[in-house]
Amino acid sequence: MSPMIDMVFLLLIFFIVNATLIVVEMDKKVQVPIARYSKNQETKMGRIVVNVYSDEHAGEGRFRMADGKKVFADDEDMVDFIKKEKERWDGKGQKARLHLRADGKVHFTYVRRVIRAAAAAGINEVIFVSLWSRNN
Amino acid sequence: MARHRRVTPPEEDKPKLSIAPLIDVCFLLLIYFLVTTTIKQKERDNSMALPSAAPSEAQPDIQPFFIKISDEGHIYANVGAAEELLDTEAQGAERTLPRLDQRLEIYAAAAKAGNNKPLVQVYVEAEAEQQVVSDVLNHLAKHNVSTVTFTDLVAQDEQHK
Repeated sequence: MSPMIDMVFLLLIFFIVNATLIVVEMDKKVQVPIARYSKNQETKMGRIVVNVYSDEHAGEGRFRMADGKKVFADDEDMVDFIKKEKERWDGKGQKARLHLRADGKVHFTYVRRVIRAAAAAGINEVIFVSLWSRNN
Repeated sequence: MARHRRVTPPEEDKPKLSIAPLIDVCFLLLIYFLVTTTIKQKERDNSMALPSAAPSEAQPDIQPFFIKISDEGHIYANVGAAEELLDTEAQGAERTLPRLDQRLEIYAAAAKAGNNKPLVQVYVEAEAEQQVVSDVLNHLAKHNVSTVTFTDLVAQDEQHK
């Protein structure tokens, strides 16, 4: 019995380590808006994450990638990034979509810049990320 | 006649699987994961197709519904002389915009009756907060409007830079 359990555990660890998890990272500094009629995230495939920070956290960079560390130098840099990500997802046969994590307090002028960058990169579907409630 | 005695092996010689250490390890793992897990709120999607990124030559069959969001977060319907103030702020924890909701309900019902896809154009002033834009998009999602155009009627963004 013991060798069998050992083998099962080894296999389990092997698969856990090798599993390619697709995780959409969430930077806590971005407090996304509330929207009651938003839907559960069905798939994480095809998402190109762009964070837009409020004035409070924009000092290190207004527009950043999923991890919240890599800052976009300018709008051109953002377009290049979205284009590359789109090509990557297209290569995998997945439809690329902009996963827009904009802080609720941010002015729309900044959000519009991201939407424009996505449009320039050929993306016409934008996911406005939100929460169902601030308290649940 | 010699009596044959059946010899039974002592208990200690039987191979046994000791289950107690396994349970100990399982409990330790359980406690570890319980302690390290932080319950995060799940983020949700409000997905919109923005036709401006994929323009089409064909004219839509239905007149689009026009919404304007001002810097102060006020919601208007239509433009120019027909401009009409609908809501000044979202109400309650659910952030409802009652008058916009009512107008969208009528528009969505009319579009459905005409077998058309409802189209909405939103003009947002540069300093309007994303939460207000999200409130409007939330109401669009409620009425199954998934095609939105963000218009740039006035190049105010550039003026604010």
